[in-house]
Formats: sequence, C-alpha cells, structure tokens
Amino acid sequence: MPRLSLWKDSHSNDYKFHDRRISEMFTIGGTGVLIHKYLGTTNQGSTDLTQPQYTNQSEQNIQDVLFLENRDRKYDTTVYSMRGIYQVSDSDFDLTQFGLFLATGTLFMTFHINDMVEMIGRKIMSGDVIELMHLKEYDALNDVPMALKRFFIVGDCSRASEGFSATWWPHLWRCKINPLVDSQEYKDILNKLETASTGEDLSLRDVISTYNKYTDINDAVVSQAEVNVPQSGYDTSMIYTQAKNSGERITPSLVTTADNVSAMSADASASTTSADTQLLTPDAKVSGYLTGDGIAPNGLPVQSGITFPIEASSGDYCLRLDYSPNRLFRYDGKRWVKMEDAVRTTLTPGVQNKTLRSGFVNNQATYADHNGTHEQRQGLSQALKPRADN
Amino acid sequence: MSYTTFFYDHQIRRFLTQFIRIMSNFQVQLGNDEQGGNVFQRVPVFYGDASRQASQILRSNSENTIKAVPAMAVHINALTYDRERVQEPNFVSKMNLRTRYYDESTGQYTDQQGGAYTVERLMPVPYKLTLKVDVWTSNTEQKLMLLEQIMIMFNPAMEIQSTDNYIDWTSLSYVLLNDIGWSNRSVPVGTEESIDIATLTFELPIWVSAPAKVKQLGVITKIVNSIYDGSGNLVNFASDTADQLASQTLTFDNFTVVYQGNTLKLLKRNDINSTQTSVSIETELKQRHSWQALITLYGVLRNGLTQVRLLQNNGSELVGTVAFHPTDATLLLYTLDMDTLPSNTLSPITAIINPQNINVDDNLISPATGTRYLLLHGIGVSGDVDTLGDTVASVAWNPDGQAPLVANANDIVEYNGIYWTVVFDSNSRPNTEYVTNMTTGVQYKWQNASWSMSVEGRYDSANWSLKL
Repeated sequence: MPRLSLWKDSHSNDYKFHDRRISEMFTIGGTGVLIHKYLGTTNQGSTDLTQPQYTNQSEQNIQDVLFLENRDRKYDTTVYSMRGIYQVSDSDFDLTQFGLFLATGTLFMTFHINDMVEMIGRKIMSGDVIELMHLKEYDALNDVPMALKRFFIVGDCSRASEGFSATWWPHLWRCKINPLVDSQEYKDILNKLETASTGEDLSLRDVISTYNKYTDINDAVVSQAEVNVPQSGYDTSMIYTQAKNSGERITPSLVTTADNVSAMSADASASTTSADTQLLTPDAKVSGYLTGDGIAPNGLPVQSGITFPIEASSGDYCLRLDYSPNRLFRYDGKRWVKMEDAVRTTLTPGVQNKTLRSGFVNNQATYADHNGTHEQRQGLSQALKPRADN
Repeated sequence: MSYTTFFYDHQIRRFLTQFIRIMSNFQVQLGNDEQGGNVFQRVPVFYGDASRQASQILRSNSENTIKAVPAMAVHINALTYDRERVQEPNFVSKMNLRTRYYDESTGQYTDQQGGAYTVERLMPVPYKLTLKVDVWTSNTEQKLMLLEQIMIMFNPAMEIQSTDNYIDWTSLSYVLLNDIGWSNRSVPVGTEESIDIATLTFELPIWVSAPAKVKQLGVITKIVNSIYDGSGNLVNFASDTADQLASQTLTFDNFTVVYQGNTLKLLKRNDINSTQTSVSIETELKQRHSWQALITLYGVLRNGLTQVRLLQNNGSELVGTVAFHPTDATLLLYTLDMDTLPSNTLSPITAIINPQNINVDDNLISPATGTRYLLLHGIGVSGDVDTLGDTVASVAWNPDGQAPLVANANDIVEYNGIYWTVVFDSNSRPNTEYVTNMTTGVQYKWQNASWSMSVEGRYDSANWSLKL
C-alpha cells in the first residue's frame, strides 16, 4: 500500500474534487460580478519611440515605456458574469480637496481560478473593471432616470491564502479592488451609451461621474469672475470727459458760428443759434493702466474700419481694426490723431484672451507655403524642423 | 450698546474667483477617438475646502458616483499681514470725477454729463495671501500636459484683478508661483493606493481696504483770489463785497445773466451796450450763447429741478427753478420761488399811474379808503405856475376845503377817506424800500432815487449760480 499523500505533482483527483466543491461554494454563496475585460492599449499613432505602436492588441503591451503606463485602454465589449466573495464592511467618507472619498473603499475579493480562466480566458488582472451588481443604487439624489452602478478597478491580484486546499494547490484568486474613477484610462467603458427608462441615450459617464457637476461649478465661478472683471484693466466708459481741446479754454462761446452777430437781438423769437451748434468732441480720455478700450469718450459715435473715412469732420472718431490692438483715432480737422489702443481683453484663458502670452498659446492662425497650409502655433522643438527627403 | 456698522466687500472672495478663473479652461489630451481624431478634456477647477454636505450632494448622496480626474482644487493656505508693504496708514486719497448721465428710461449712459463726485480712499492694509492648487491626475503624461501649460504663465508673476473699477486702487495684484510639489506620493510607492496629486503654491500680495467715501462734488462757482484786503486784514466774506479791489470772484467763465420776465438770458459782460442795471435796459447782444452748451460742461439740467440762485444786494439769494426754453436755446425759463423775494418794507400799492394821463373819475375823486398809487410824474409841484403866474393846483385830487395835493415823481400817495396825502416822500427816503404792485403782482425796489423791479435785471458773474 502506497503511503498516503494528498500532494501530487499534478492536479490529482483530490485536487479536482476540492476544486469542484469550492466552485460550487462560489456558485451557491458568491455574489454576482460583471467583469469588463482589459484587452490592451489602443495605438495613438505616435512617432515617439517610447510609445511604440503595436501590431497586435494585447494585454502584454505597454503604451508608454518611459513612464511605464497604459493610458488609453481598450475593454472587451463582452461583459463576463462571474461569482466572487468579499467581506462587506462599513463605509466611511474621507472629505478631501477633491470631494468625498470612501476611506474604506478598497476591497479584497476572491474568485475561483478555474472558473475565472474558463470564463474570460485568463486570470483577472490589474486594469480589469469589476461591477458589483448587488451594490446598484436605485435611490440616488439626482434626476438621472437610471440606477447608479458600482464599479471597481482591479489593482493587485494574487493567490488567496485561504484558497489553498489540502492538496496544496491553489483554487482562489484574490484581487485588491478600488473604486473606479472617471479618468482617461476607463473612458472606453464610461463612454458607452445606455438607454435610460425615459428612452434617452446616456453614457455611463453622464450617469455616475461628477465631472459635469464640477464643470458647472467651475463655469459659475468663472462667470462671476467675468462679471467682476469683464476685461483686463479698468472700465472708464462711464466717466465723463469734458468737451475741449487740449490747451484751449473751456468756453461755450465756441458753440456759435454765426457770422452776422451784430444783428442779433435778445428777442427770444430770433433764430440766431446756428444749426451746427455743438461742442467739439473731446480729444482725450481718462488715462491709466490698461484703460484703452477703443470706445470714444462719452460713448460718442465711432466709425470702425480698415481705412479712415473719406469725408470726416473735425472731432470725428475712427477705430482702425487693421491695427493690433485696434487703435482709436480722432480727426482734428487736418489729421487723424491717435487717441488710444484698445488693449483691454478678457482674462479668461481661451481664444478670446488677447494678451501677449495668449497670442502664442491660443494662436489659431495658419500660414501657407508650397507644401500646404500649416498652423502658426507649433512646438518650439518642432518649428521648421528638417524633414526626411524620403 | 452700539454696534459697528456692518461692512463686507467680498475682497478676498473676489481674488479667489479671479484666481480660479486663471486656472480654468486648461485641457488635457486624451487618446484618439474611434475615428482617430484628437480628444480633449477640460480640467475643472473648484474650491478645495468644501463642506461635507455640499460634497455629499455632489456625490448624489451615493457611494456609487465616481470622481472625475484630472481635476484641480484651490484652497487658502495662509493669510498673513505683510509688514514690508506697510505705508502711511492715515493717508487719504481723494479722487474727483464726473460720470456720464445715466438715463433710467433707456438703461444706458448718454453722452451728457451726469453727476460729479469726490471719492475718498483710506490707505488699504497689505496682506499676503497664499493659495495652493492641488492637481490630481491619473497618469504622468497628463500631469506634464497640465503643468507645462500652467508653468509658462508665471514669468515671474501674472497679474490678477479683483475688479475693473477705475476707482479701486486695490484691485490690481499679481500671482507668484513659489513652489511646485511634484507628488504627494513617495517613490517607491509601496502598497499604498493613494491618488497622485501635484501641489502648486502661489502667493498674492493683496490689499484689504476700508469702505470709500463717495460724496457729491461741489461745483466751485466762486473763486476768491485773495482773502486779505488792502490793509492786510482778513476779508469778512459775510459782509459780501468787503474789498472789491483785493478780491476777485469768477463765475462760469465770467458769464452774466439777465433776468427778464420769466426768462434768463446768458451773455458776456462786453456783450451789453448799456451799463444800466435797471430792467429798462435793452440788452442788445453782440453774440448769443447757448445755455445747453454751457451746462453740458458742468452736468445735466433737470427741467423743473435745477435751480438758479441770484444774489441780492442784501446778501440774500433769490431761488428759482429753471427749464430749457422749448424753442430758444439761449433762454432758460425761470420759475421764481416767491418765498425768496425780499420782504416788503412798504404797504402794497394799488397801481402805478401817470398822473398827467388819467381820467378824473371815481378812482380819483372817491376811491376806497387806503387806495395807494405810485406816481410816475409829479402833481402840483411847488413852484409850477401857469401862464398867468398862478400856482398850478391839482384841483381834481382833493375836494374843496382841502389843501391841494402836491407830490413828486416816485412818491406814493394814499387816500385816507377824505383826501389824498403823500405817504412816501421820495425826496426824504435814502434807504432801500420794497413794495408790491397789487395790480400786476410785481415787486419794486426803491434804490438810488429810482424805482425798479426788485429782482429782475442783470446779474454779473459771482452774483448768480447754478445748482444742477
């Protein structure tokens, strides 16, 4: 009679017996888990040698071999249903600068190895996404006509210590899982559309991510900031500028242009005030740091264009749009005199921002040469870089 | 128990909103979409010291919501008094400015002048505000994308404004990027699963200011060049024209006003041929001046509300409201406040009459007792004789048995029920007197041995003012 030994060099019938029982335990007592299988990265067309372009999509590929990270991940459109077991624990929220996080959000879940491999073709690995169906939220405080699903990211995986049977062969796979975040890595899952009970197509991201709420908050703050400071510098448009010429005395005697003044009388019925009676327009504005806005003093009419008006009267204003920044001129009867440059601009980062720095960063202009049209904005390392002849 | 009046101008709050604005609208590039196009995602920025309740609301009161990354959170790290920037704490800056007229009906500013104001600003208090920006990213490439965009903005600083108000001298400051904490994680990471956060530390030298004083700017209508008389003594301004040689008063570029009827005319001193001050002057103007043009220099005339004040010889002011004449820009319609007229010093007269051209009727022979007339010519003046050498008697004025009435021009005569008698002898009245003609309602003034309308006439510069 051979000596009794549960250990065998290969998977023995004892092992298989235990494995079937353990599998049965998972079927009976495990919770339903949906697996979003990670397939690999997607090629981004980069010419950077540290970001290789793979001919085959594989979980073994690494997108960025410099930083050793996979940013653009592809997930199987097939969702795999499995059973897993974990210890349910109480949750506490940790209030951080980015909102509330689950302080006890990390869970350890075990799966049956053979069932897992049979189901998804490999063991669960870091980067797979797990959906726990029994944690679906039906009563969230929102107006979304859809239940909120609970997702986790698989972090580290290893054999579970409790998963070794008497045969010393392992049966269980222990995964450390953390709450999912709405990040670049998982957009392949989060951008999938689902149809709500209202018939509306919503992406998973629209339903469970806080992104839209935080962008709305950001927009509200920026809007108020734009109310407080619509443009850089100072708003002097409401300040009144006296109608006068520099160096001249202020006198309303300027208003009359009638020639035969000696014939005038004090008779109120006498029509002696000329039709062209008016003050000369101001030839200066309130000065100061960043006060130029291209608006004429006192809001007086301004002609805008890329040339001066052909027939201009003394005191007329013209805003030349072909100047950068636009320049306001005033006609003094002989020449067009510069008054100010419209240097005020919005301060919100973006294409409307006309600051010097923004002129480089947000430049959308193009130039054309014999090779076609090119964007003016180019990385300094790439500007006019020699190209291969072939 | 008294309380300090509440004051809060959101000064630090406004800097925070502007700072969040600076950090807003940055994007990161995500992987290409299915068509191979670039995908960008804007990075939200928000205040990092949220309340627990607001955070739960943002989570939809559920554990299942997921956080979006990348994101940036701004919070105040420190606020300290900046001793190095202290300036004279008691300094008060004054700024005088005029605003354009705001038309309430259209909700827009016009090209006319509105109010004139003086703003007093107390020296603000310097503080140093330290802000931290936590940048949460999900991978290193994403972090580099954000930092590269942010870092070029601060060379060495970036301007920040809390308001674009021209008056607010504390609105402008700058943001210094003092420090970059690359990551909250250490290398090697170990078994921790913490998120990766880069921390940027910024410093803002700001000013916190007390409320300003905004006052209506007083329009200077009179400028006294010297406050001393020829003897070197202080001029008593209360006594009006104390020393005309030593002082000079200016009004509206030396414009003169003629009050006539219910109108005010605007003219220059040399526009008038006559130097008379009587209302009978014929103001032949060499040049006419527009009230509209003059007033535009100083503000907006509000019809029926704007006042013109006319200084009287006794130091009192005649007050009336003005309105533009509907057809003549050189005239203002003047509505006098009758309460500001000088008080009558004589009993009212019934009428002004020319005794050489009246009908002898009941008004003369048997008028009501107390009837008073102001005479433009004399009656039975002593020494007047007819061709026969007899004294001319005013037999019609007094009945037989009574002495004939003898009165001079400018006298006032009164009927006492029996006969006429002189009650105001113009030859013995050197003082200024006022009396109202009940027939016309016009008040007259006795001055310099002649009667004139009491307030109408010419008001030279410094003797009239405009209250807009």
